[in-house]
Amino acid sequence: MTTTSDRLHRAGDGVSDPILEVKNASVTYDDGDTYVLDDVTFSIERNEILGVVGESGSGKSMLASALLDAIPAPGHLSGEVLYHPDPDTTVDVLEFSDAELNEFRWAEVSMVFQGAMSSFNPTMKVGAHFEDTLKAHDRSVPEGLEFAREILSDLYLDPDRVLDSYPHELSGGMQQRALIALSLLLEPEVLVMDEPTAALDLLMQRSILLLLEDIKEKYDVTMVFITHDLPLVASLADRMAVMYAFELVEAGPRDQLINDSSHPYTRALLNSTPNIDAPLEDMRPIPGKSPAPVNVPAGCSYADRCPLATETCRESDPAFEPVEAGHTVACHHWERAAEAIELTFGEAAAVGGDAEGDPQ
Amino acid sequence: MSRARGADADGDASDPLIAVDDVEVHFEKEQGLFGLFDEPDVVQAVDGVSVDIGENDVLALVGESGCGKTTLGKTIIGLQEPTEGSISYRGRDIWETKAGNTDLSFDDIRSSLQIIHQDPGSSLNPNRRIVETLSEPIRLTHPNVSAGERRTRIYSLLERVGMTPAEDFASRYPHQLSGGEKQRVALARALLMNPDVILADEAISALDVSLRVEMMDLMLDLQEEFNTSFVFISHDLSNARYFAAHGDGRIGVMYLGNLVEVGPPDRLISDPQHPYTEVLRWATPNLALDASEAADPPMRKIDIPDPVNPPSGCRFHTRCPEARAVCKQEQPALRALGDDHRAACFRTDSDHRYWESDPIED
Repeated sequence: MTTTSDRLHRAGDGVSDPILEVKNASVTYDDGDTYVLDDVTFSIERNEILGVVGESGSGKSMLASALLDAIPAPGHLSGEVLYHPDPDTTVDVLEFSDAELNEFRWAEVSMVFQGAMSSFNPTMKVGAHFEDTLKAHDRSVPEGLEFAREILSDLYLDPDRVLDSYPHELSGGMQQRALIALSLLLEPEVLVMDEPTAALDLLMQRSILLLLEDIKEKYDVTMVFITHDLPLVASLADRMAVMYAFELVEAGPRDQLINDSSHPYTRALLNSTPNIDAPLEDMRPIPGKSPAPVNVPAGCSYADRCPLATETCRESDPAFEPVEAGHTVACHHWERAAEAIELTFGEAAAVGGDAEGDPQ
Repeated sequence: MSRARGADADGDASDPLIAVDDVEVHFEKEQGLFGLFDEPDVVQAVDGVSVDIGENDVLALVGESGCGKTTLGKTIIGLQEPTEGSISYRGRDIWETKAGNTDLSFDDIRSSLQIIHQDPGSSLNPNRRIVETLSEPIRLTHPNVSAGERRTRIYSLLERVGMTPAEDFASRYPHQLSGGEKQRVALARALLMNPDVILADEAISALDVSLRVEMMDLMLDLQEEFNTSFVFISHDLSNARYFAAHGDGRIGVMYLGNLVEVGPPDRLISDPQHPYTEVLRWATPNLALDASEAADPPMRKIDIPDPVNPPSGCRFHTRCPEARAVCKQEQPALRALGDDHRAACFRTDSDHRYWESDPIED
């Protein structure tokens, strides 16, 4: 059932065996006046870790909710979300009945939200959350709990202690790991994590990221990691996608996206990040503000802040263009981005500074 | 109590702005009804910390959650009374001043030492316009200043922290501001008092990564302009490095209530002397991808031990990859390594009996 547009699309983003596909997804509020997700199309490769990066209010949480058809009311989701349990089967997530959707969330695609403290019921022991989840999905409780213990130990937690504790008796890092274990309980194919480590200190964040890599290998799960923290997810992701003002602006393999990013916003975002090895004088904030969800500019929404912006950018919204295999960007002037905005960290800084020093 | 230091009561010009001397802060954990007659659990939040803060200085405190960095910060600005040791402001003991035993008034000290909280949303009253929030401190400290003057002062400060047009922002309620703007208001409020020291307690952690540099630059500009010192608390070593390096200050690494390494940012990051500093460095994401892939963490356990019952000897020995038997028995003191760099690890001393001691087996 591959259409022409499918093939074109696949050729562009380098995904050959997608487990989830999102096509032209938009989320609107106020009867279509407010766009909080604007025509987003992308796919997730089976067994990859996809990092989605965007600032607060860029629509990244909406993207996560869209994957599970879980947009908070009164938001309206349009477009297509296709799930491929295996390469030859396609199901349309937005066509699910309530019962099917219930089974789909948790058992096929499960989600970890930011702030474990508010995801657990403070009056129930952690173990009871595991039991309730198993019962709600008609699974065997003893078998499920045995599996839970295994995942908890994989996350360096003591299963007896954690299952028998109330949430407040665990540290933030332990709660967050227990929540990840809970989300894996029904052996989902895809784990969507929205800022799963945001409230934790860096040391715990990095430790959890390492554990996630092991978990991914052991349980063959596809991961989508959504965060505002670009350097954090860069250490984990296979592929990355960057969101700006409710749209996707660039996607590609991790190394290309970091070292050879082609969207002026991605480059500015990389340069604005305090980095432990970068020269201090080269870290710069991005001037200006991202647009509000109403009155999004007609052309490229980054044009007002972009040093490369021309009349074309203000008038027409750029389409996705391939930079190289698997790396796509939505910018009219991506070919000039590398020389106009030098990256200021690591090897890229050295290369960019030497080779492309003369301005046009 | 060692706190009463009568000789210091009047202070002189050579005294540092803030002197922290062997400070210890212990909290008693609340007991349930059944534990009424038991010895209460004592959380050792800060233990044996000494550090000075000068004029126009920056001290960036880093460490993981629960390491005592916020408690130490609050102790430095006189919000938390130490259970042992002393804190003095220009040579006068802060808590003696509060008791009325020195020539300074406690109100002066209080307004010279200000704080910016982590969550800008909950530190501003949601029912008050920004201008009302900012008027209050002036009204309290300068009752004779007219409403017009107050307004002028507030507008000029709002402009100074980059909130223009000031009239427009001043008339807003907190929910009409973004996170970065709320944090700017909190900064303006702290600056109203012309403070000597501002404690920025994870002041940028709630902001987007891309906004952090901007906020730090603003604080650094103000450091120069108003001659303010900062105690900058962060769990992120790269932010601490940025702030301390630009502010010409030091980074202090805390672990379970102890200061384990202090030094200039470049020395501390390029040549860390404490294995825990190494761990923090490992935990800091790095865009130079080869470096970020560097395999396993340089520590043996993920979770920090309970501060109610901290490990004996060097408190890091339960997680330290370099720990040996002697680390369980003896606590290393901070040792000067030159260039204002100090670390508390036996490994900095090539003659220490650590080197003959047996490695710890888990």
